[in-house]
Amino acid sequence: MDQEDAQLLAAYLEGDAEALGGLVQKYKRPLFGFILRFSDGREEADEIFQEVWVRAIKNMNRYCHKNLLSWLFRIAHNLMIDRARRRKSVFSLDTSVNEDGMPLSEQLPSARLGPDDETGGRDLGLRIEAAAALLPIEQREVFWLRMHADLSFKEIAKIQKCSINTALARMQYAVSKLRKELACEYHELREAGI
Amino acid sequence: MKTGKLERWLLLEQSGELSPRQSQRLKRELVASEESRRLRSELNLMSNSINKPEVELSPWIVARIVARLRGESRSAFNFYKLLKPALALAAGLTVTVSLLNFHGEQTSSAPDAIVAATGVDVWDDPFDKDLCKLENLIASISGDPVDIMEM
Repeated sequence: MDQEDAQLLAAYLEGDAEALGGLVQKYKRPLFGFILRFSDGREEADEIFQEVWVRAIKNMNRYCHKNLLSWLFRIAHNLMIDRARRRKSVFSLDTSVNEDGMPLSEQLPSARLGPDDETGGRDLGLRIEAAAALLPIEQREVFWLRMHADLSFKEIAKIQKCSINTALARMQYAVSKLRKELACEYHELREAGI
Repeated sequence: MKTGKLERWLLLEQSGELSPRQSQRLKRELVASEESRRLRSELNLMSNSINKPEVELSPWIVARIVARLRGESRSAFNFYKLLKPALALAAGLTVTVSLLNFHGEQTSSAPDAIVAATGVDVWDDPFDKDLCKLENLIASISGDPVDIMEM
C-alpha cells in the first residue's frame, strides 16, 4: 500500500476522522466518477460511494492488494453488479412496456450526441464519451478504468475477475469500435495535421 | 506484425505493462511501419482527449461514512452489551439446575443401592436420627419413656 494511504488509515483507526476525509478526497475523482458513470443517478452513486468506503474500512484486515484504489474499484464493481442483478430481477430492458410492444431499451434516449451537443461536437472528448456509452458494459468498464482511472490491465483483470488477456481483448474491441465511430473526426484531425 | 497483436502491444505500452524485450520490438515496428505509427497516434489522441472532469462530492459524505462506521461498531457493541446479562442469567440457571440435579441424584441413589443389595426396602428418613435423639432427651428430662409421636 502507498505509504501516505497507510499513514492516513492508521490515523483514522486511532480516531482521527479527518484522516479518512483525506483518503476519500484523494480517490474521489476516479472512484466517484466510475460509480457515477455506471450507477443509476447521483443519489445511488452517493450511496454506493459511502458503502464502498464502509466496506473497505471494515474489511481492512483482509486487504492484501498493493493498490488501494484498485481494491476500492473492486468493491464498487461488486456492489454495482449486485444492484444491477437486483434491478434486473425487477424488470428487463427487453420487457415490452407499451402497447406497441416496443422494448424498453428502444424507448430510452440514445447515448449518441443530441443536437445541442453536436454544436460543440468539435470536442473529441465529448464524442468519445458518447460513443463509449454504446459499448457493452464489460468493454465500457475496461475502457473507463483504463482511460479515466489509469489502472493497469493487471488491476482491471482483478476487478473484473478475468484474465489479463480477456481484459486486454475487451479494451481492444472497445478501441476498435470507437475508432470506427470516430473515423470522421480522426480523418479531420489528420487533415488538420493534429 | 499483425494488426491485432500490434494493437494489444500499443495498449500494453500505454499502461506500462510491456516487457523491455517487447518494447524494443515495438520500437522497431514503429520505425518500420507507417500503419503502426497511425494506430499509435490515434490511441494517444483518444487517451489525451478523454475529459476527466473534477467531481464534487456532497460536503457531508465523509461525516456520513464516519457516522455509519461508528454506528455499526456501536450497534455491535450494544448487541454484546445486551447479550451479556442474558448470558450471565442463562449461565446461572444452568449451574443451579445442574446442582439440583446432582443433589437429587446423590440423595436418591443411596436407598436404591441398598434396595438393590439387600432386596429389602429400608426406611431411611434423614430426620429419623434427630427425632430419636430428641425422644431420648425428653425421656431423660422427664424420667418417663415417652413416645414422641404421641406429643
